[in-house]
Amino acid sequence: MSRPLVNCGHAEAWASKLGHWRRSCAIGVLLGLGVLLTSCARTKSVPVENVSVTPVTSVDVLRAVHDSGGKAVLVNMWATWCGPCREEFPGLVRVAHKYAGQGLKVLLVSADDTGDVAVVKKFLSEEGVDFPAYIKAEKDQPFIDGLDKQWTGALPATFVYDSSGKLHDFWEGSVEFNVFEQKVVEVLGKQAKPTGGNS
Amino acid sequence: MNKGSFVALAALMTVAASAFGLNIGDKAPSTSVKMKGVDGKEVSIADAAGKEGTLVVFSCNHCPFVKAWQDRIASVGNAAKSKGVGVIVINSNDPTDYPEDNFAEMQKRAQQLGFTFPYVVDATSDVARAFDATRTPEAFLFDKDGKLVYHGAIDDSKEANQVSKHFLQDAVDAAVAGKAVPVAETKFVGCGIKFRAKT
Repeated sequence: MSRPLVNCGHAEAWASKLGHWRRSCAIGVLLGLGVLLTSCARTKSVPVENVSVTPVTSVDVLRAVHDSGGKAVLVNMWATWCGPCREEFPGLVRVAHKYAGQGLKVLLVSADDTGDVAVVKKFLSEEGVDFPAYIKAEKDQPFIDGLDKQWTGALPATFVYDSSGKLHDFWEGSVEFNVFEQKVVEVLGKQAKPTGGNS
Repeated sequence: MNKGSFVALAALMTVAASAFGLNIGDKAPSTSVKMKGVDGKEVSIADAAGKEGTLVVFSCNHCPFVKAWQDRIASVGNAAKSKGVGVIVINSNDPTDYPEDNFAEMQKRAQQLGFTFPYVVDATSDVARAFDATRTPEAFLFDKDGKLVYHGAIDDSKEANQVSKHFLQDAVDAAVAGKAVPVAETKFVGCGIKFRAKT
């Protein structure tokens, strides 16, 4: 269970310091609201009707990597039922937004059942994904081997390609924003100097 | 080292380890490690081995893919055991973030599914690491000489009514008959194993 953002202090101190605590708490609550609003701005949801999810095979994904025109392309395999995937999603969306202006393309490929596309769209909507996304529409073995034989099939899995479509990095398991950023910046060949967007 | 870097390093080590994982023909690792079964008894892979071979399945309770395949794990496992193949199902997940994977839930699941073989806790996740197992459910079948003859999925579809290739069942039948396994390695999308931190 997470701790409350604002702790209004011990009961034994209330009698003598009530006025002080009220003022402190009021400030704390305002600061908390500010943090909350800032946080909400980072993960602003998008209308679900604006979320695009296209069924793909592994060939389609690799073609999308090549055709993206990105200076760096990050492919993330995930699923709505995958806890670690959900955990890393905010960092993933944040890096997508932060480096979009520098040529990063992020291709999110869901491994949910194609019949669950509405669930996928709802999740992407809530996470603020305002760029095209995809859903696996091929049997596991050909999809996994077609994408990259290094991948065992475990979720989440992330692939980072350079502008020529050459695989630069690959890993399985969830990571935080700073790792996504580091890997992307390596390919972009720059230091972390965002040019705008939601950071 | 911050948490993100650690997770990334762990993930990259996982990938690096994959290149040196079990190959067809290899012997099972960590066979003497005692693990607590749902009946409260300590059992190792060596203890569970059968005269016709040994089937090791990394599984858990919470994963939607395990839930989709669990009836088939039970039926293939029970059938294999009746043919003289020792069977052991191992839960290597850290239940901290996935309480459904705790011991009490394992006991319920084994009873519900009618396992006639041990369902055990890999308390350090080191057995999974030794096998280079990455996801659930992931099967390893060793023949009567202790050599790996099959590694991968239970069959070719999460949906029981869409199965066309019974990979594991066919491998068990071939191994018991002393024949070559028709398909020795398969890949599938699955839940990543929730490894405990290394001790």
